[in-house]
Amino acid sequence: MKFSVYRYNPEVDKKPYMQEYELREIQPGLMLLGALLQIKDTIDETLSFRRSCGEGVCGSDGMNINGINGLACITPVAGLKQPVQIRPLPGLPVVRDLIVDMEQFYQNYRDVKPYLIVDDPMPEVELPQTPEQRDRLDGLYECILCACCSTQCPSFWWNPDKYLGPAALLQASRFIEDSRDQATEDRLAALEGPFKLFRCHSIMNCVQVCPKGLNPTKAINDIKKKMVKRAL
Amino acid sequence: MSVYLLHGLRPWLFQRLSAIYILLFSVYIGYSFAAAGGINYGLWREWLFDPPKTIAVGLFVIALLIHAWVGIRDVILDYVHNTLIRVVAFTVVMLTLIASGLWSAKILLISVVI
Repeated sequence: MKFSVYRYNPEVDKKPYMQEYELREIQPGLMLLGALLQIKDTIDETLSFRRSCGEGVCGSDGMNINGINGLACITPVAGLKQPVQIRPLPGLPVVRDLIVDMEQFYQNYRDVKPYLIVDDPMPEVELPQTPEQRDRLDGLYECILCACCSTQCPSFWWNPDKYLGPAALLQASRFIEDSRDQATEDRLAALEGPFKLFRCHSIMNCVQVCPKGLNPTKAINDIKKKMVKRAL
Repeated sequence: MSVYLLHGLRPWLFQRLSAIYILLFSVYIGYSFAAAGGINYGLWREWLFDPPKTIAVGLFVIALLIHAWVGIRDVILDYVHNTLIRVVAFTVVMLTLIASGLWSAKILLISVVI
């Protein structure tokens, strides 16, 4: 099976280039991460990429596979068009090969204050929720911050420092929807303005690529609805 | 430039509301022209002379200008990053839209007066 992998080592290379690899034997059920590890172990140990859990939970191995972002560890190689084009996540600076600098992405995540804000004195034990209140967080809390969605979003490519991107906005929604959070008003006010939220034009690339099957576009539209209600 | 002319939520909302009006108006005017067997001068004059219809056309022009403004503003915000070029682009678009609006107003007012 043929692979064409983006290579760039800023200490040595002047320009990025694509390198071809071929694996003769492909075990049934092999995932793309397995193939990359096989290339690294048997052909080229300088090939660099992030990985950790290997089962779609940690979100480390987000990459661009034949033009579409996804997690290598849960992408079966069977069925991929050959040569499989593997590139780093688009829109973020490349550190080396398939490793990108996620700082801007995390910066945007921090910007939405992704934690409970409670002004009342904290209760001794816990902040209880009804099952219905808890259900509102489904589809929001599962995000693993792999950055597949934000780096597939053209609005994030053009204005990564001003538009928060689908991942951060999904988390904004997660805390706006949380019955225990008391900063809803401030959170909605903070997202006003032409850039932070409203660069989303609902093209739904984020929904298409999310490896966890989440729907950031719906979360963003829910925030917009809440903003309209607040304004009226 | 007052945070790119009126912030985020308002333009977004106006874009949607104007879209609804443009759609309803287009369907209505299309239907009435079709019902009359096609566009002719007499029918067009009736649209401009009948006061409720004059107002409907006037609102359509306003909705169209708002819709065009928000749409082009979005394109400029997305793609134009140089502040100077952005300000120039905003100004050119704004002047064009205002001129179009004034011209439409002139046509509608003349139709009322004559």
